[in-house]
Amino acid sequence: MTEAIARRPGYRSTWTQVFRSPAARLVVKRLLLAIPITLGVTILTFWVINLIPGNPAQALLGPEATPDQIRAMEIQLGLDRPAHERYLDWLGGAVTGDLGTSLVSGQAVAPQLTERLAVTGELILLALVGALALAVPVALRAAHRPNGLFDRMTTIVNVTGLSVANYVLALLLVLVFSVTLGALPAIGFVPLSESIGGNLTSLILPATALGFPLLCVYTRFLRADLVDQMQGQDYVVTAQAKGIEPWKVLVRHALRNSSFGLIALVGLNLGTLIGVTVIIEQIFALPGIGQLLLQAINARDVVVIQAVVVVFAVVTVLANLAADLLQAILDPRIRYGDR
Amino acid sequence: MRTKFQLMAALMAVVFGAVACSQGASTGAAPSAAGSPQRGGQLIVLKDNSFDGSWPTGLDPATNATGGANIAQMAAIYGGLFQLTANDDGSGAKVVPHQAESFQMLDGGKTLKIKIRSGITFSDGTPLDAEAVRFNIQRNMDSTCTCRPIWQLAKNGITTEGTDTVVLRFMVPTASAVNNFPIANVNWIASPAALKKMGPDKFRLTPVGAGPFKVVSNRLSSELVLERNPTYFKQGLPYLDRLTFKAIGGDQAAYQALLAGQADAFEGMTTTPLLDQATKNDKLTVTVQPPTSPYVVQLNTKIAPFNNEKARQAIYYATDFNAIARGVFKNKFPVSQTFTAPGGLFHHPQGVPGYRGYNLAEAKRLVQEVGGITVTLGTLADYVARQVNIALQTQWRQAGINVKIEDYQLNRLVQTFNGGKWQAMLQTAGAWDPAAGVGVAFRFASTSPFTGVKDDHLDGLLNRAAAEVDPAARDKLYAEAGKYISDKAYAPFGLAFAPANLAVKGVHGPGLTTKIPPLVVNSGILWDQVWRDK
Repeated sequence: MTEAIARRPGYRSTWTQVFRSPAARLVVKRLLLAIPITLGVTILTFWVINLIPGNPAQALLGPEATPDQIRAMEIQLGLDRPAHERYLDWLGGAVTGDLGTSLVSGQAVAPQLTERLAVTGELILLALVGALALAVPVALRAAHRPNGLFDRMTTIVNVTGLSVANYVLALLLVLVFSVTLGALPAIGFVPLSESIGGNLTSLILPATALGFPLLCVYTRFLRADLVDQMQGQDYVVTAQAKGIEPWKVLVRHALRNSSFGLIALVGLNLGTLIGVTVIIEQIFALPGIGQLLLQAINARDVVVIQAVVVVFAVVTVLANLAADLLQAILDPRIRYGDR
Repeated sequence: MRTKFQLMAALMAVVFGAVACSQGASTGAAPSAAGSPQRGGQLIVLKDNSFDGSWPTGLDPATNATGGANIAQMAAIYGGLFQLTANDDGSGAKVVPHQAESFQMLDGGKTLKIKIRSGITFSDGTPLDAEAVRFNIQRNMDSTCTCRPIWQLAKNGITTEGTDTVVLRFMVPTASAVNNFPIANVNWIASPAALKKMGPDKFRLTPVGAGPFKVVSNRLSSELVLERNPTYFKQGLPYLDRLTFKAIGGDQAAYQALLAGQADAFEGMTTTPLLDQATKNDKLTVTVQPPTSPYVVQLNTKIAPFNNEKARQAIYYATDFNAIARGVFKNKFPVSQTFTAPGGLFHHPQGVPGYRGYNLAEAKRLVQEVGGITVTLGTLADYVARQVNIALQTQWRQAGINVKIEDYQLNRLVQTFNGGKWQAMLQTAGAWDPAAGVGVAFRFASTSPFTGVKDDHLDGLLNRAAAEVDPAARDKLYAEAGKYISDKAYAPFGLAFAPANLAVKGVHGPGLTTKIPPLVVNSGILWDQVWRDK
């Protein structure tokens, strides 16, 4: 029976349908595009690091090192080999999942990355989820009555939040919640495997320092889009003409349309967010990937820097891909290839 | 990054000043009478991740390239053959045998015999004997770390006599060899058996020593967790059950973490506005260590304008370090006229006879006489150094000197020195023993890449001082060298700065809450004697 159906002219199996769908083509296209992007990023990173004055040997040994000591260290680290040789060696390993061995510590990079990515990933996830979870209702409430009291207060908070640098906010949060109130830890990280409560507690302040400016950006962005939708779009007028309550129009119709821009913004934000974690992890002494990157930059540990940059690039590409897919789910025109 | 955080710290210090001051006032600067040591408890010690909180190459003495910065971690794991100790106020500092039992300097400083205490074992149960020490010294002398001593050892110059004596034979008299131990990697003796068993890559992560603590976990440049070594050779020590070193991003973050009760101590605070706040805070004990290395304005005598002695004299007369110490640093740090400072050996507080002090009229006259001076004054990007450089620029401009200031990151600084085109550099010079570690020769010997001076007479003085066994004769030679530098106007000396240790009240320990002269930058805390109130 099944075979008979399969032999019918024009029949497409479920898998064929999936692979031929615009969404699948989008995924494949993006994934293929990720390869040259990642490769380009690694070449650029390697090139830039080699252009920076100094080298790992000098960075490690400090200002007191003599030229002989530096030379000996360069040989110990393998830096006496040509740059392209070192890059190709690294690349050969990277494509098989071996991200190399740190020039400085002599330890395999991949396990370090895995361990630290868990910390940074959780921090970013908490910051993003927290920012979005608050931004959506706040923006809805503000857009419900544009220029009303709540909207104006939101604007003041948002502008203030956008004006304060993450590290200043981090120190202020520590001052208030750790030093003065003693309610939350100022430094350190508790792994999820040790304690769920402890883990969340240890990340509240860093995630807030990271997420608050995002909350402000998202709120302003979404509120502006919602107001725009509510004030001029035909479908809103139609919905209102049908007698649907303004709140319902806002939540059920306008929010869906406004969320496209927000989703794209979140995807684009992720790259910046990873950069900010470098500072946040220093202040809160979190053993994340940002801390690892900073140490590697200080030591000119090109192998670790390469690996971290690759991870950043892949995560950014995947995040943007996820954003596109989410938009495709929300917008049938994208899903069915009309747009 | 350290610079960024220091600037941030200074800014935040002002912002948070009122809050911190409202938490009460005390005389935190003085070491408190600690009472009887108590056993037990744990300590979390914060370390600046741009300096001593960075141990990227691990903690094997032979491969730790940043051993000079990681003295605290190394001492906690390995103890050390020798230690620098001092009275609570930092006076009477001396190097004493620790895992070594005694030493003898023979043959006019060309032979050093070290007797090892009997019965010491590493935490893996193997013996710390003469052969283990010989193996380690040999291995550590081949290290690329700048904490490796620059000794000219004779061929086969490291031998043993019996099971308890190690003999070092030098090509030239090396009187300061013992004083070199506490700041050198040869002081840290690792278990040869554990090294062989684990291999160097694993050993650098979980090293085995005979110090007061043994490694529980080690996340490089992030967190090092240690626990009491039950086989430690000193009865009843260490007091603490557990000791954790945690890297943190700068003074401000560390200060707040201490106030929040998240950590118990922080070594090496340099941001002076925060230091002011900390000394007024009744939760903290602040111990400013006795300085050993004064700032010096190195003048490059090999190129213009300072190949002209009169131009160098003009700089001396235009420089008023007393005003900088008073105005910028509120007299927290003393001013020195030579390469020694109050915390170090061979220091004479009365200064150098004939030293050219501040004299603006004379400076202006000399500037005119040489037809004007234009100079670039550089320094390492660091909070205190930058403050001093800005002040110097202001003072020199008053004398008619055209000054441009620059601060360099480490690599740029080294390149600038190596390029040889630099004119003036604010740096630190000297050490607890001027012949040990980054001592005076580093800034003044003709062979050093970081000197602006090429003078055979000065080289001779410094070499003779380093070789001299008799302390009184050494003192005389260093005084002579100091006067010679002053007479030739090679480099005006100034503020003798040392960082401070912060500890929460109830924590006590030599070098942490009492004063011990700094070894490289921070003091060598005697971790086995650190304890806390229960």
